[in-house]
Amino acid sequence: MAADSTPTIALLRSSTLISQGAEAKVYRASLHAGGAPVLLKHRFSKRYRHATLDGSLTRARIAGEARALLRCLRCGVSVPGLRFVDAASGVLGVEWVNGRSVRYLLGSGEGGDAVDGDEDPAIADKDPLGEFEVSQDALMVMVGTEIAKMHLADIVHGDLTTSNMMLRHPSSISDLPEGTQPLVLIDFGLAFTSALAEDKAVDLYVLERAFGSTHPESEPLFGTVLEGYKKKMGREWTVIGPRLEQVRLRGRKRSMLG
Amino acid sequence: MPTRARKSPLKKPERPYLALGLEGSANKLGAGVIRHEIDGSSTVLSNVRHTYITPPGEGFLPRDTAIHHRQWALKVIEDAFTKSGINIHDLDCICYTKGPGMGAPLQSVALVARTLSLLYDKPLVGVNHCVGHIEMGREITGAQNPVVLYVSGGNTQVIAYSRQCYRIFGETLDIAVGNCLDRFARVINLSNDPSPGYNIEQEAKKGKRFVPLPYTTKGMDVSLSGILTATEALTYDKRYRPNDPSQGEADEGCFTPADLCFSLQETVFAMLVEITERAMAHIGSKEVLIVGGVGSNVRLQDMMGIMAEERGGKVFATDERFCIDNGIMIAQAGLLSYRMGFQTPVANSTCTQRFRTDEVHVAWRA
Repeated sequence: MAADSTPTIALLRSSTLISQGAEAKVYRASLHAGGAPVLLKHRFSKRYRHATLDGSLTRARIAGEARALLRCLRCGVSVPGLRFVDAASGVLGVEWVNGRSVRYLLGSGEGGDAVDGDEDPAIADKDPLGEFEVSQDALMVMVGTEIAKMHLADIVHGDLTTSNMMLRHPSSISDLPEGTQPLVLIDFGLAFTSALAEDKAVDLYVLERAFGSTHPESEPLFGTVLEGYKKKMGREWTVIGPRLEQVRLRGRKRSMLG
Repeated sequence: MPTRARKSPLKKPERPYLALGLEGSANKLGAGVIRHEIDGSSTVLSNVRHTYITPPGEGFLPRDTAIHHRQWALKVIEDAFTKSGINIHDLDCICYTKGPGMGAPLQSVALVARTLSLLYDKPLVGVNHCVGHIEMGREITGAQNPVVLYVSGGNTQVIAYSRQCYRIFGETLDIAVGNCLDRFARVINLSNDPSPGYNIEQEAKKGKRFVPLPYTTKGMDVSLSGILTATEALTYDKRYRPNDPSQGEADEGCFTPADLCFSLQETVFAMLVEITERAMAHIGSKEVLIVGGVGSNVRLQDMMGIMAEERGGKVFATDERFCIDNGIMIAQAGLLSYRMGFQTPVANSTCTQRFRTDEVHVAWRA
């Protein structure tokens, strides 16, 4: 791990910790005085891992995430813009997305390890979607469409959950370039490039399981996601659809030896 | 995550309950007697085990393992009763491993269980081997609702309890971690006594150089077979020094069997700790329990301890008596379900090689 004195570490020190997940701490920072806020993701070192292994894993994952984001941006998938990469220190900086996670919008809270004292009073709101001016169905179609765009670019997210997609707040879109999508896919820490129907089908299956575990009675919701996905994928769906069926069976009945 | 305190469906016993547990799903044959006391605690009255040990470089084959179990069954069971000081007529039930495991050894032990059941007119209880490990771990360590890492020669799973089911959060996509370590022990000709995994652990303590190996976590799952192949391939590398550590010391780029054991352990354990941490973050649990044979590895326990400490949590682990396959864990899990009214009629007292942890209805937990 880099020495304490590097500019990156100094930058982290001056930023506000937003949340801490299993792998990374997320900060809100500003790269220069008065500049637009950026989100810094720090893959902190894990003391349980051998230092060499830890260093190479952190570097590879930061670089991989940056690469996946770039590829998405180039292919017109709605993801946060890349602002800053320091692979050696394990820090990635991306555009600050002003909005809410889809998980929150579907009424299941923000999830993750909340930073102490950061309990969100807005959780009590009856309909968090109201101020975002979209219906639940429209949101699900957007999710499906965006995943389809990503898959058409041969990027597999690897960790699709409703926490890993955000909806921009309507008030923030007006300041952004024309044609900015309100729905944003985030957290490409496990993403990789693949053209295989298998990988894409598994990606969808992971999301389906996430829906099942975070949003009870969510089957119709995921159905709408698939509708949006199908429409955008066009002919490709004829390969991925049947494969998804296979993957579903596999997940449940996979046998193991003991 | 504060879980609502629900009342346990398991009532305190109105009298002490006694159970015999028989385990033989792999190369260990175990018999143990447990007593559930009136105050809700349990006492291990005896825990006897006999392991089928093969020569270095060889694994255990189902047929030979079954022969071993048949030869030792009576001796081991007799020992268990002598040590416990109870009479077989006092038992409430006889618990046996229904699966998962190797077919032939499972059948041998099931046959013994069936015979005892008919001879002494005692009800049978078929037990899922993995659930046995979890329940024994909970009983011994007192962990309430931990994320469970179950690591053994045949299984590698990250498990969390939810709504009367042990849900599998992540698991191996190919071979189990114990299998990976054991097979590498055979590649470098380590002894199988007391277990190849134990000898890998001792060897790894001498290792110093970290040799990079593939690191393959996939979401919540891990893949281990490729790592085994990669490590094995390194033993054909020209930098490999099979039995000359002194020369290896001088030569910078070289590595010894000890270095490979060290690197293999560091890599696969880091993967296991990583997926366990992800499961803990996902469900918001602060406790982690390690069960299964590989769980007795002190390095794995240490790494898990560091991770848990960083999260403000706690790690629970047991020693080889309860980590490695044993009869007492089968008795514990079996007696819990017996007290909930579950029995296996002799006609259904089959065993199966495929029996997933999440197929069991955990009636005794809230």
